[in-house]
Amino acid sequence: MSGISYKSKGSILNPLKNLAFLGRGSVTEPLEPREASANYRGFHVNDWELCIGCSTCQKVCDNAAITMVKIPGLPEDPVKGVRNERPAIDYGRCCWCGLCVDICPTGSLALSREYVHTCREDELDSYFVLPDPNGIHGHYFPKGWDKSVDADLVDLERQPMTEMESGERIGSFAEIVAGYSDQQAIIEASRCVQCGMCHDSCPTHMHAPEYIRAIWEGNLDEAVRQIYRTNPFSHICGRVCTRRCETACSIGRRGDPVAIRWLKRYAMDSVSDERVREIAAEGKVDYLTGRKVAVIGAGPAGLTAAFDLVKKGHEVTVYEALEKAGGMTRYGIPEYRLPYDRLDADVAVITSLGVGIRYNTRVGRDVTMQQLQQEYDAVLIALGLQMGRSTRIPGSDHENVRRSVELLRMITEGEKFDIPDSAVVIGGGNVAMDIARSLARLQRQAYGEVRVTVVALEDFDHFLADPEEVKEAREEGVEILDSRGPKGCVIDGQGELQGLKTLGVLSIFDEKGRFAPSYDESDEQFHPGHMVIEAIGQMTDTALLGDKLTEQLEWNRGRLRVDEEGHTSVSWLWAAGDMVTGPDVVHAVADGHRVAASIDSTLAD
Amino acid sequence: MRPENYQAVNHPPSNEYELNFGPNHPGIEGNYAFKVKLNGDRVLEARADGGYLHRGFEKLMEGRLWIQNIALVPRICVPDPVPMEVCYALAIEELCGLEVPERAQWIRVMQLEMSRVAAHLFAFGGHAATTGMYTPMFWGIADRDLILDRFEELTGGRVYHIYNIPGGVRRDLPEGYLGRLSGLLDYLESRLPDYDNLFFTNQVFVRRARDVGTMTQAQALKWGVTGPNLRATGLALDVRRDDPYLVYGRLEFDVPTEAGGDALARNLVRRSELQQSIHILRQVIDRLPEIDGPIRCPIPNPLAWNVPAGEAYTRVESSKGELAYYVVSTGGGKPYRVHVRGPSSMHAVQVLERLAVGSRLEDIAQIMFSLDACPPEVDR
Amino acid sequence: MSEHGEGHSESYQRIRSKKRLAEILEVATSFEQKAYEFYTSLIPKVSKRIRYLVEELAEEEKGHYEMFSGLASNPDIVALLRDEIETPVEDHKFSDHIHLPDLGENPDDQAILQYALSREDAAMKQYRDLADHTGPGAIHDLFEYLANEETKHKRELEAMYYEIVHSGGP
Repeated sequence: MSGISYKSKGSILNPLKNLAFLGRGSVTEPLEPREASANYRGFHVNDWELCIGCSTCQKVCDNAAITMVKIPGLPEDPVKGVRNERPAIDYGRCCWCGLCVDICPTGSLALSREYVHTCREDELDSYFVLPDPNGIHGHYFPKGWDKSVDADLVDLERQPMTEMESGERIGSFAEIVAGYSDQQAIIEASRCVQCGMCHDSCPTHMHAPEYIRAIWEGNLDEAVRQIYRTNPFSHICGRVCTRRCETACSIGRRGDPVAIRWLKRYAMDSVSDERVREIAAEGKVDYLTGRKVAVIGAGPAGLTAAFDLVKKGHEVTVYEALEKAGGMTRYGIPEYRLPYDRLDADVAVITSLGVGIRYNTRVGRDVTMQQLQQEYDAVLIALGLQMGRSTRIPGSDHENVRRSVELLRMITEGEKFDIPDSAVVIGGGNVAMDIARSLARLQRQAYGEVRVTVVALEDFDHFLADPEEVKEAREEGVEILDSRGPKGCVIDGQGELQGLKTLGVLSIFDEKGRFAPSYDESDEQFHPGHMVIEAIGQMTDTALLGDKLTEQLEWNRGRLRVDEEGHTSVSWLWAAGDMVTGPDVVHAVADGHRVAASIDSTLAD
Repeated sequence: MRPENYQAVNHPPSNEYELNFGPNHPGIEGNYAFKVKLNGDRVLEARADGGYLHRGFEKLMEGRLWIQNIALVPRICVPDPVPMEVCYALAIEELCGLEVPERAQWIRVMQLEMSRVAAHLFAFGGHAATTGMYTPMFWGIADRDLILDRFEELTGGRVYHIYNIPGGVRRDLPEGYLGRLSGLLDYLESRLPDYDNLFFTNQVFVRRARDVGTMTQAQALKWGVTGPNLRATGLALDVRRDDPYLVYGRLEFDVPTEAGGDALARNLVRRSELQQSIHILRQVIDRLPEIDGPIRCPIPNPLAWNVPAGEAYTRVESSKGELAYYVVSTGGGKPYRVHVRGPSSMHAVQVLERLAVGSRLEDIAQIMFSLDACPPEVDR
Repeated sequence: MSEHGEGHSESYQRIRSKKRLAEILEVATSFEQKAYEFYTSLIPKVSKRIRYLVEELAEEEKGHYEMFSGLASNPDIVALLRDEIETPVEDHKFSDHIHLPDLGENPDDQAILQYALSREDAAMKQYRDLADHTGPGAIHDLFEYLANEETKHKRELEAMYYEIVHSGGP
């Protein structure tokens, strides 16, 4: 069957066949060092410049051979998603499978073609190695098993978000973003490598790895529970957060960061409001401390502090000048980005815990600071930046030159104003985009066409607004011009506003890198518009403090001076939110927690 | 070690005596041992003992992520690791419904056959050594090393390739790889006459191996024998042909058999299979360049990978016989249970214990090697 | 930039006359001194919130004023004080700003900054002009130096202006 003639006994001369081997070399391998193959899996090398210390290699290591070692002196920047830790390998455990290389989000880790290491007994520690780009013996060996597209275990592509087409969305203030389906959310959540960079970078240190994991596991109650550990404004942050987490996300080093914001939104939208209220109430003490706290301003900072304090058993009353709660998130952010019912849901969670909000009550007019001081054990001001700055260029005192914050508030409140058939917006931030896109919608409804021009000082390389805001605004018919500085409003003989003159910007930074534009006087343009909207800086109206208290307080370059815990120089007064930290929802939430902790510990004394 | 094997026994006066054979015996693979009862040099009884070294793989797998086990499974059979990787991957692919790209399937077949050639070279090298012929062993191991060179080039690892991953393989072929593989096959074919001369047709070996460890086809079937050991009793059973996996259904090859059922027959079957593997590899080298496409289908993030609940039984033909994985998932991130049907667990225990009886002491090692029993497969 | 460039004409005729350096320095000194007094008197009028701004401006002007006083007693300069210098006749840039504006009760930070900017702008241009109209020598270098000082100061203020007004500010 086999054809092998093993049965033949052969000739007596058979042994002579071996003479054929006389001239042949033996089958041996040379003793010289043998070069390893091009994708050999030898000792690790790690590019410390690329490595961010995310520890994903450690998580996938099947032999627990990797230890993350803190290296003092290396950069550590939570905001950028960089830790000063680097993987060290125990070669007593390592099996050189290379999974660490394949899953490395940055591509810093590789296996080299170096494979020889021996040592004496007293050098056994030398098997515990902190790989750097130079190889374990300081001799260069080329990379072997390296990151490749074939072997990559990181999913670099984000689940696409369904959004309304521009033609459809421009007709109304309906929400643009559809949110993830169950399937999309699970797939998106599965991309997370649980490195925790998001947690470190988040101003309020949200437990994003935990809630992403819970979403992946399909345990949405748990996701909401994790979210509410640090953020009672989760519907809001699930929609409009500035999402530093995604900037820090280690998957974003080579691909799309995990859509952490959309996942939070998904979790919040998937659990009923009643259930969210139950989860949020977990951990609320079942007694009252008898202490009373007044909060001025029902925005994210004030209400977060109120949420924390009421859970600790304090009685909290919030004074809100306007008709509804939410602060700038309600009166500054258009409905197409943040639907009011979701905002209402966030607020309802907080009021359901027993926080009382007195609407339409303006401190300074309806009640004084002195009264609050007498009635309450502690007062927190969280006023926000509700006043718009004016450029004060010639003609800017015309009645049709408006402030964006004022118009956005009127749009939210449904207050009528004459919708201009053409408008020019000054500013390049997200607020400028908000008012431009809101006006575009109103124009579309009133006139059937959009005539909005945005002029920004910054060039597109240094633009302040989010790229997607710019993209969507353009899709909706808004014209955006960069590097234009306002020169003056043009008013005709009848006193009617006709538009805005701008100058070209030569450069926006001075020699020290500070923002200080210089202009080209010869490059003047006219932008027609029957309304000019100023969407530049915003400020806090601190008039409610009154002269006496203003004098009594310490200030820091235009802002209230507070200590690290948000305590002002006056013992009964704390300050938090945009007025202290600058405009950002999630910073305001973080600030609310910080101040609440300070107030609670002071009241406990 | 089984404690009952090593109890002090008060022997009645007789010519019988007990001998511990192994684990540190050059004719025993790995850290295997026998307790044999002898009368003179005639074996009256043999008890196999797998030792503690290669144990607990199945239990270990339950504590590791699905992906982490790809680095563990090749260790269950050191000389022939690829079937372990492929069979484990096949089971997960079945549970997850993953479609392995065609190119990856061809690459897997290529490795499986390379691994078979390497394992057979190792096996008859070892067999020769147990008969006192060390030159074939040196040759076999040295030529196997040339295959390991190709493995190193392809997978980055010489022995533990850790190259097959659920969904496909981890790397595409290096530039010019098939040409070098083809050159290696030419060389191996040119070596066959030398091997035949030195070993397979060498009467010193033929006489030494004939009628040693003989089993009948009926015995083989009863004892769960598979692979070359079964085919050496005249029954052409081969998973590759009978239950084709990957692209074996599209390849031409014979299933060689011998009738003798003894150590010689088993060895000759392997010798013929080596030639068949080369024949299969030639076909792969012809066809693979035409098959473009990815080498792996998209798989989830390994750190967030729940395999759907269910159970899968997958089998492949390893160089030792029918290798199978039975994997149970409860929908979690780690296996609930993995059972490995290592073909050697039959060959090295129940078969060997029976075949040894009646043989002579010096043939125990030869019988074990002729069965190509791989100790780590025994007590996974 | 027109938004803070109030108070000087876009163009002016280059009609020249002669003035002695002593006179020029005297006007400049009083320019800085008046500014210092102006800001100082403003300090109690503004909200404590933005008082830092006025205090910083006053401090800056005080520095300038002291520098001029020092110049007037510097022997190198004293030797030149009687030199005649060509100046634009309509050198009303200084004088415009010596007539201090009424910023009203409780002016805000933006108004104060706008005034300060236009003032620095005028001084810068004035010294630049004077430097352009003197030949090489110590007096030329002096005006060059003064022009550069004012330019630097104006840049600082501009940066602060954009920080406060255009980017959300402190």
